[in-house]
Amino acid sequence: MPIVSEKIQQAAAEKLAEALDKMDGVESSVDVRTSGTQNRPIVNASVSPENWRKVAEDLKNKYEVDHCSMITGIHWPESSDKTWEVVYHFLRTGIKNPVIEGGLVIPNIVDFSKVKGKDVPLEIQISVKIQETRTPSVASVQDIWVGADWNEKETWDLVGIDFDGHEGMRRVLNPHESPVGFHPLQKQHKLRYHGFEEMYDDAQGFMRKPVDSNRVK
Amino acid sequence: MAEMWISMGPQHPMTHGLWTLKVKVDGETVVDTEPDLGYIHRGVEKICESRDFTQITTYCDRLCYASANTWSHAYIYAAEDLLGVEVPERAEYIRLIAVEIQRIASHLMWLGAYGPDIGNLSVMVWCLREREMMMDLLQELGGSRMHYNFPRIGGVKRDLPHGFALRARHKLKLFLDRIQEYEALFDESTVFLIRSQGVGYAKPEEMMNHGVSGPNIRAAGVNHDIRTSHPYSVYSELDWTPAVERSSIKGADCYDRYRIRVEEMRQSANLVLQALDKIPGGAETYHEPGDAKILGKAPTRAPEGTSGSHHFEDSRGESMFYIAGGGEGRGKMPYRVSIRSPMFITIPYASKCMIGYKVADIPAIMGSFDPCIGETDR
Repeated sequence: MPIVSEKIQQAAAEKLAEALDKMDGVESSVDVRTSGTQNRPIVNASVSPENWRKVAEDLKNKYEVDHCSMITGIHWPESSDKTWEVVYHFLRTGIKNPVIEGGLVIPNIVDFSKVKGKDVPLEIQISVKIQETRTPSVASVQDIWVGADWNEKETWDLVGIDFDGHEGMRRVLNPHESPVGFHPLQKQHKLRYHGFEEMYDDAQGFMRKPVDSNRVK
Repeated sequence: MAEMWISMGPQHPMTHGLWTLKVKVDGETVVDTEPDLGYIHRGVEKICESRDFTQITTYCDRLCYASANTWSHAYIYAAEDLLGVEVPERAEYIRLIAVEIQRIASHLMWLGAYGPDIGNLSVMVWCLREREMMMDLLQELGGSRMHYNFPRIGGVKRDLPHGFALRARHKLKLFLDRIQEYEALFDESTVFLIRSQGVGYAKPEEMMNHGVSGPNIRAAGVNHDIRTSHPYSVYSELDWTPAVERSSIKGADCYDRYRIRVEEMRQSANLVLQALDKIPGGAETYHEPGDAKILGKAPTRAPEGTSGSHHFEDSRGESMFYIAGGGEGRGKMPYRVSIRSPMFITIPYASKCMIGYKVADIPAIMGSFDPCIGETDR
């Protein structure tokens, strides 16, 4: 089966990383991810929060990055250079609507062994680091990639990082009546049980930890 | 006529699980929709932060009850990237076999559930009959029927058992014959054609922007497939191309999404047959569990500041894991595990897809996207 070669992907990744590196507040490099027996070069960039919106617009319009895979929020209370981090994963897929000839749709079959230029599929990982604050937030990219919409909702719901300009922010995985400010993936929320022994020794919760004493089990 | 909101779910035959679709209707026409998820949110991402890298595999199995193997493999690839593990080639072939059989089982479950959705009950029994064959094969590999816990960081739990190749070849050839029965059942069923054709149109560029991937986007006439565009495993050594459907001018409808899955089942069966022929060392040899031919050496700790990620072609689209290392126990556990669920992104899009159609089309459109709430809510 024809697949995209590592060399072409490497060259495309280097080109994009170089272009991104020239922008304000962006540090970019090419990383290699290994998947079992194959290597995948990816573009890895770190963007400052104030420049993120501009970089996102350029990614979409100039570099044709058309797919937002995932947005991850991370809480780093003990880290030295950041307290919050938002990691974006994008794919450049190069998907075009199939052309229509004589009323017939001609399927758009790309031969991945021959792709070049902006059609080369690429993985992009962007990290936005936020300093110590009680109300972390970054610019929303909901209007650029609609796929980011629910990812951003989830990141706010679970981690508590807000997205400026996001319309219709609400709880998606936690119950709607969750207390304001409750975001379970923040690190101050500890898991009650850490090992299965602990769980089975105290299935009824009689030996509950002091922090849990007022909570309904 | 006055518009009003009605609530479909959480207990509703359309929902394929526990979630609510709020529908704004004007008479019989859908004007607006709002999905409401999270009913079975179990907090897998949080639990993973206090489990070591091996223990997490079992949680990933349980993300999706119809397609457990693909999820545990998606995690394993990301963990291998994080820990820098080299995988023996034989193990990669065995993984491919496990994943592709799982893909068939998952699509059969979908087809079996989609029939009753739109008024063709008999097809469910037929699909579950063949799914049973696939589950038997997977049981031989993993030891249980639904949650196999089969892959390991660095390889697989067990080698192909004695006689597996023989039984797999036989069952898959039988299955390839029987696919024609489904096509006959569906394509000659007037009820199915009336209800699936011409509803739920979706175009590829729009789908990509909304984050929809996998069979749903290939149904619209583009060959986007993580297995070819971001290659992993040994797919490149087998002779195949992603199945692509010729959609109509308005985009892919429910019928195209049914066609593409049937085509994919055929392809997966062929992939497994090829892999059984090509597997290094031969499919009949058996290595003891833990042998270097099927399990590479893996470290148990990940230093702080490292991360691993992997895009994976799940039965429902692009799944993904991102793992940041260096958590509790000096890196024995991950600091943060993040899961991309294809259906979490697709359900909002599918809900928007229904606008303008009739209320009776909702099960047909929703079902055609293959929702699975286990992975959606995590």
